[in-house]
Amino acid sequence: MWRQGAGSLSSVFANVKSRLLAIVVTVGGLALTGAALRWMEAPLWAALRAEQPALRLDSAGAAAGQGVTLGLLGGFRAIVADFTWLRLHVIWEQRDLAATDTLLRLVTTIDPRPLYFWVNGARIIAFDMTAWRIAEAGGHDVVPAVQRDRLGAEQARLAIRLLEEAMTFHPGNAALWIERANIELNRLGDIEAAAESYRKAWEQPGAPAYAARLHAELLRRLGRKAEALVWLTRLHPQLPPEEEGTELVLSRIRDLERELAIPVMQTYLPAASVPPGRSARESRK
Amino acid sequence: MSGVPFSLMRVLLIARNTLLEASRQKLLSFLLVLALGLVGGAQSFREFNFGASELKFLADLGYGAMAFFGAALTIAATAQLFFSEIDHRTALTLLAKPVWRAEFMLGKYLGVVAVTAVFCALITGLLVAVLWSRESTLLRDIPDSFAQGRTLRIVDLGLAGYLQWLKLTVLAAFTLLVASFSRTQLFTVVTGFFVLVICHLQYLARDAYAQGGSTFAQVAAGLVGLMFPNFQLFNFADNVGAGIPVAWDRVARVSVYALGYVAAGCGLAIFSFRKREI
Repeated sequence: MWRQGAGSLSSVFANVKSRLLAIVVTVGGLALTGAALRWMEAPLWAALRAEQPALRLDSAGAAAGQGVTLGLLGGFRAIVADFTWLRLHVIWEQRDLAATDTLLRLVTTIDPRPLYFWVNGARIIAFDMTAWRIAEAGGHDVVPAVQRDRLGAEQARLAIRLLEEAMTFHPGNAALWIERANIELNRLGDIEAAAESYRKAWEQPGAPAYAARLHAELLRRLGRKAEALVWLTRLHPQLPPEEEGTELVLSRIRDLERELAIPVMQTYLPAASVPPGRSARESRK
Repeated sequence: MSGVPFSLMRVLLIARNTLLEASRQKLLSFLLVLALGLVGGAQSFREFNFGASELKFLADLGYGAMAFFGAALTIAATAQLFFSEIDHRTALTLLAKPVWRAEFMLGKYLGVVAVTAVFCALITGLLVAVLWSRESTLLRDIPDSFAQGRTLRIVDLGLAGYLQWLKLTVLAAFTLLVASFSRTQLFTVVTGFFVLVICHLQYLARDAYAQGGSTFAQVAAGLVGLMFPNFQLFNFADNVGAGIPVAWDRVARVSVYALGYVAAGCGLAIFSFRKREI
């Protein structure tokens, strides 16, 4: 009896030992393979992360959410995000603030690549949601102006936060800075911040010239006319002569020169109007 | 198996039989038809596209279908084709003959790899046709948007399809490893899907490992990062859809990386299967 028990016990031990060995060999084998291939994988992974902003998030929490959707949805990200955006529109029509906000986060998490979601999302947060909150509080006629401004400022800050998040995925994108400037100007009424954002937008590659023009316009509104004039005179030679905005910039320069009473001899003279072989001073004479 | 030398011919024979058996499986045909239908009908989803460019959207959808249905097919095929031999006792008859267990496992693996190759080739071919046809229409309708000519290159589309297939071969090796010690098909399929998820998300564990935490968590995350291949490396579809050419040296490196894990997965599966009582 005792011998039988000891025999079965030793067979159990042998079984456990064999299984443990299998586990150790499997785990060890795979880990060694991973370690051996790490030198090859590391540069590939670094290059891929540099190409895809969605894969290089600093925040661990955001990376976890993003990574899960990235990993699991793969190529279906685009279509799932599009359908979620459609769903968001249905909710948006119902003016359900909480659900719209949640779906907005979901869309930008599922597919952070299209600018469309970020820009339109920021507009919804800054403008539509402010209107919804005012309506909920009794309507435009009932809610005092101070409270309306407070609600608008709260929503604007949330929208700017969304745009800042968008900039981590799309660094160097002018459209995001322009959207930020629009919100700062039209919702927060912060002309200085908006002027700064338009300037940053202009600094990004492929930025539209109107961003630079609006920067000068806001400097002018802030009373910094001399600064605006310098900015525009530097901007004008960079613009293509055939573009519609180029003429507008020149007309703004003339307006500012008049307002600042700049002497004729010191006024700006476009390079195109200076004949070859003559200086700008000679041309003015 | 002593006395009989290892034979590649026997491996290929088992692989051919596995492929034939797979072609008779209804589930596998169903997955293939579903994926082909989705890619073929991708153009009808264009109306729902808000963000990315149209061609990129179509490419995303095609490679998404390949990745999703391909993974389901690989896991299901590996588990089904392996356990059908065990459950029907045909493995017992086969291994009673002068056939190495390693030959049996490699034959099964190559058979599944051939199935996934057919799947990926069909989907890639259809995707190329869909994208080419749509791009031709767009070139005709809005030539201003294509000042530089065609944005999509067939070679890049093919390479992206090849990399998806490579990913499936690694997944098949890992599923075979699970099947080699698993007792049931269901367990293999479920674990196979877990492996798929882990391989796609292992980089998050490594990030957590880099950012700190308890020592145990760091060691565990580091181990997961080493044991499981990073499936994100195989995803070149984002570049292809955006018209960015695929770098050949990168494809070569990813191929060697996949080969390393395939060798380890198959080797360990053979080791485990040799100890298994059938």
